[in-house]
Amino acid sequence: MADRFNKILVANRGEIAVRVIRACREMGIASVAVFSEADRAARHVRLADEAWPIGPARAADSYLRIDRVIEAACASGAEAVHPGYGFLAENARFAQACEEAGLVFIGPRSETITLMGEKTSARRLAVAVGLPVVPGTLEPLADDAAIRQEAERIGFPLMLKAAAGGGGKGLRLVRSAADLVSAAARARSEAQSAFGDDRVYLEKALVRPRHVEIQVMADHHGNVVHLFERECSIQRRHQKVVEESPSPLLTPDLRARMGTLAVALVRKAGYVNAGTLEFLMDESREPYFLEMNTRLQVEHPVTELVTGVDLVKLQIRIAQAERLPFAQEDLVQRGHAIEGRIYAEDPDSGFLPSPGRILALRVPGGPGIRDDSGVEDGDEVPSHYDPLVSKLLAWGEDRASAIARMRRAVREYRVLGIKTTLPFLDRVLRHPDFVAGRIDTSFAERLGRDSPPEEDRPWPVAVAAAAISAFEQRRAARTPSAVPAASAWRREGRVESTGGRG
Amino acid sequence: MILDAAVDGRAHRVEVTGGKGRYTVTIDGRAREVDWRRVGGPFVSLLVDGRSHDVGLEPRPGGYRVLWGSHDFAVDLLEPSRVDAVAPRRAPAGPVRLLAPMPGRIVRVLAEPGQEVEAGQGLVVMEAMKMENELRSPRAGRVVEVHARERQTVETGSLLVVVE
Repeated sequence: MADRFNKILVANRGEIAVRVIRACREMGIASVAVFSEADRAARHVRLADEAWPIGPARAADSYLRIDRVIEAACASGAEAVHPGYGFLAENARFAQACEEAGLVFIGPRSETITLMGEKTSARRLAVAVGLPVVPGTLEPLADDAAIRQEAERIGFPLMLKAAAGGGGKGLRLVRSAADLVSAAARARSEAQSAFGDDRVYLEKALVRPRHVEIQVMADHHGNVVHLFERECSIQRRHQKVVEESPSPLLTPDLRARMGTLAVALVRKAGYVNAGTLEFLMDESREPYFLEMNTRLQVEHPVTELVTGVDLVKLQIRIAQAERLPFAQEDLVQRGHAIEGRIYAEDPDSGFLPSPGRILALRVPGGPGIRDDSGVEDGDEVPSHYDPLVSKLLAWGEDRASAIARMRRAVREYRVLGIKTTLPFLDRVLRHPDFVAGRIDTSFAERLGRDSPPEEDRPWPVAVAAAAISAFEQRRAARTPSAVPAASAWRREGRVESTGGRG
Repeated sequence: MILDAAVDGRAHRVEVTGGKGRYTVTIDGRAREVDWRRVGGPFVSLLVDGRSHDVGLEPRPGGYRVLWGSHDFAVDLLEPSRVDAVAPRRAPAGPVRLLAPMPGRIVRVLAEPGQEVEAGQGLVVMEAMKMENELRSPRAGRVVEVHARERQTVETGSLLVVVE
């Protein structure tokens, strides 16, 4: 294994590629970006020391092409590859291809990715170290008779999940026996096309569960620590939007117990580098192990803000075979951190994607604020990839001050040209249930449904700003040198008025 | 300049006067003094009655998108026909008489006595100089009198509709 890397290839795009490139720069390591045709001018390309094209816009033809990424890594002379999250990050074949090409994969060994990627083997391992798992099956099921028999044993409602699963594919909530057959057929066919494996397993569905996860880090020398929890219950369509640490739901005892069990699982699996154990908690706050993510999480900065540990640099150091620079007892959670994900989506029309060019961007700053963004003024948000534009974080001495700071920053943030989830984040942060820590995975859905109309919207200011702008625009158009054509809004207005009259 | 504005599903009559950064903006009869500065790109700073508003403005079909704090507004703007703009400038309180702003022909009558109407809702369509102009209600209320008849030719100042 290399003593110290001189050059790292970052096999990703967007904010996470920028995050890893920044870590490389701070460590004096050269960075190599890869990019698709849609990303030639993307921020990660501009910030990296080198940038290599790897194919057309479609992810399957570029960022998911193992051969092209490996080729770029070898051609550029990189010694290691950081996969970020998503794309190839949990692809055991990619990790193996790196190993075979003599490149260090910054993550766990390919066998560990396989072990944890197969959800039922991860569940069996968890049971072996005494981690409670959601009641259900421990072996993958391959035929309908077995599914029916197990479903009756577990009881309804239950979750049907792809054994090779992830990303919500092959996932079904089954409320009653009557729905089982068709749900199983759809889940299996989805799993087949997504993972080439149609085996499923069953889990009892928890009522209004909370989602809490434990960050772990392990080196090649048998040292394992956990870096406490992240609370991730604010989700829409099974995707997280707001995360925080510490979780308002955990007691010190429960935190310590979950951390100790997580470390036990990591040791048992021979796991190396950064990983996350996801748990569901029921209403009695009993945690159940759900799965392990064998990579850096999107929401890792929440942990960085409360522990003071740079997880990406630590990943790189561990991949260089260095020892963990601290022991479990050296780690503490200091203060409180909250992350809000800024997606290029329109929260007022069902979170529809809103790709396009960013006309203007104003990013908040000041005490305790961090913005991990993949874009700048004038950048294009392509429609081909995940719509995550940026992650906004706030740190405060306690939860209340972190929320106040986050609200302040959300209000300062301005993105023009595309719609974003910023107004949604504001609604979450102002909601009395969120402020009181009464949150579960159905919170975002309830917020969208029974959100009261806002009475304090400063609409007269909006009308005045728009009207004065129109007024000034017409005045400018009337000066002798200007083209006497009607401005765009007037033309559009006329079309609308004529259309509405017919 | 007089504009019909629509935001959050409500219509408003807006008048802008002034210039060089200082304007009087009258929305539904209520006047506000506005100090307005462009501050680079699509951002403007407004001072209204001593309150500071940091706003992003993005042109969109039919009007503007306005960002204020984390509030996202879609403001539709429509300029009523120029001649119409001189007519219903009275304060929207008490009965309002909609007068023909120009000589022309009534194309359609969109309101009938007793009907409830919104501010900005079309009441009469007039044709003048080969152009159709929709004359809108200056206030929300109930239509009490309709004098306009379809295909009728009217002179400037003819009483068309009364809303109260």
